[in-house]
Amino acid sequence: MSHANTVDPRPRCRLDADDAWRVHGLRCRRCGTVAAYAWPRCPACAGPAEPAAFGPAGTVWSSTVVRIPVPGRTPPFTLAYVDLDDGPRVLAHVPGADTAPAVGGRARLIAPTGSDDLAVETATGSTS
Amino acid sequence: MTAVAVHGVGTSHFGRQPDRDYLALAHDAVTEALADAGTDSVDAVWVGTVFGPPGIAQRTLRALGITGVPVITVENACASGTTAFAEAAEAVRTGRFGRVLALGLEQMSTAFSGAITPEPTDPEQHAGLALPALYAMSAARYLHLGAVTPEQLAAVSVKNHAHALENPRAQYSGRYTVEEVLDSKMISDPLTLLQCCPTSDGAAAAVLAPASGGGREVGLRGVALRSGAPWNHDSPHVWGFDIVRDTAADALAAAGLDSVTDVDVVEVHDAFTIGEIVTTEALGLVAEGEGGAAAATGVTALGGRHPVNPSGGLLSRGHPLGATGLAQLAEIVWQLRGEAGGRQVDSARIGLIETMGGGVSVLDGNACVVAVLEAP
Ligand SMILES: [Zn+2]
Repeated sequence: MSHANTVDPRPRCRLDADDAWRVHGLRCRRCGTVAAYAWPRCPACAGPAEPAAFGPAGTVWSSTVVRIPVPGRTPPFTLAYVDLDDGPRVLAHVPGADTAPAVGGRARLIAPTGSDDLAVETATGSTS
Repeated sequence: MTAVAVHGVGTSHFGRQPDRDYLALAHDAVTEALADAGTDSVDAVWVGTVFGPPGIAQRTLRALGITGVPVITVENACASGTTAFAEAAEAVRTGRFGRVLALGLEQMSTAFSGAITPEPTDPEQHAGLALPALYAMSAARYLHLGAVTPEQLAAVSVKNHAHALENPRAQYSGRYTVEEVLDSKMISDPLTLLQCCPTSDGAAAAVLAPASGGGREVGLRGVALRSGAPWNHDSPHVWGFDIVRDTAADALAAAGLDSVTDVDVVEVHDAFTIGEIVTTEALGLVAEGEGGAAAATGVTALGGRHPVNPSGGLLSRGHPLGATGLAQLAEIVWQLRGEAGGRQVDSARIGLIETMGGGVSVLDGNACVVAVLEAP
């Protein structure tokens, strides 16, 4: 199922003036829910959303090394769900990690990968 | 409102069957279900499929002589078949139609060369989060919390492959050891190949109509469907837990059951080993953090206190996405009639099916359906 003309749905990560990478998403003005996406309304309550930036630091909620072929990616590659300190849970690549980074460890947003995926660096250590 | 019963069920064989088309698969399921129900006509059809091409429902049904009646196709990820069932049941319950066919259809071997390709319009799938990786995240989290051990994860695969030895329609079966499961190819850490459901082709069907007290009718006590709310850093559970818990609560309330432990046999969505563990906990069959131990100690095995997936589950019967929910239903109908052969749960009176499908980022699942059924 490929849709070549699809608008890229992934979160936007930008290098801010203080040299930190941040995810530019939304915060709900009604319930405070945050998300890594610039959607027009809150996914939890349909309230009005305002732009918000999150990161760069966070904690690894979980992680895995994907060892099967996925279009556009070369296995193995390492993924983590990272709970940004002041923001949402984001899916990020962990470039250069050949084991899954420790769950509960610290992570920090870095420049997106060559495939333009969100990326983090983590403290060394593995879950296994 | 009308009391609803399942009057007949049928399935194809499950497995890689690229040489068979949708029609052949559907023929096996529909013909068996209609014969089982003792009828040759229906007033409407709900069809669940995920990757079926446009028009596949009518294209398939016309060749079975089912034309000129309303045909409604639904997609709800892995819960597509159970969604078709839930909607068909509601149509009977409310009197909209008298006799309704629910059909689940999927041919994955011709749609994908390997695992399901992540959907590029979804942000996390676009970023490479294949479904095994999503479940691997839950498994890694459980391991970190000490809520499961690798051996307990593997025990689910050992159990379900052994159950499938008694299911001639299953794609795979076998007597594996925990070590063999853990030593199989790593797919997405910590999930190994034998902890992941296979690529499957298949169809399953059910005929629903008002209950008439017939000796082979399996009564629908209650059914519920939910779609996912946001799942994020505020969620206390792994992905998919809350939607299963909440949908089950709805279904149990609709069924008038005080406790899920009154259920004698269940078929749940074990696309990956961790999925069965999380689901048995979310359903309340076992306490949180006890799902792995329940699999390892036989609580959820045939002969145990809460038999789960006597058919072999998705892990062994196979997982043709849109057909899976109705395959689960067929298994529970056979169980409640006492027709399940070597995998029969002794004197099963109340059965439950649970299917949950996912893949949409941010949400706690695309959909979940839970149904409670009662023996004739
Ligand atoms: Zn809100």
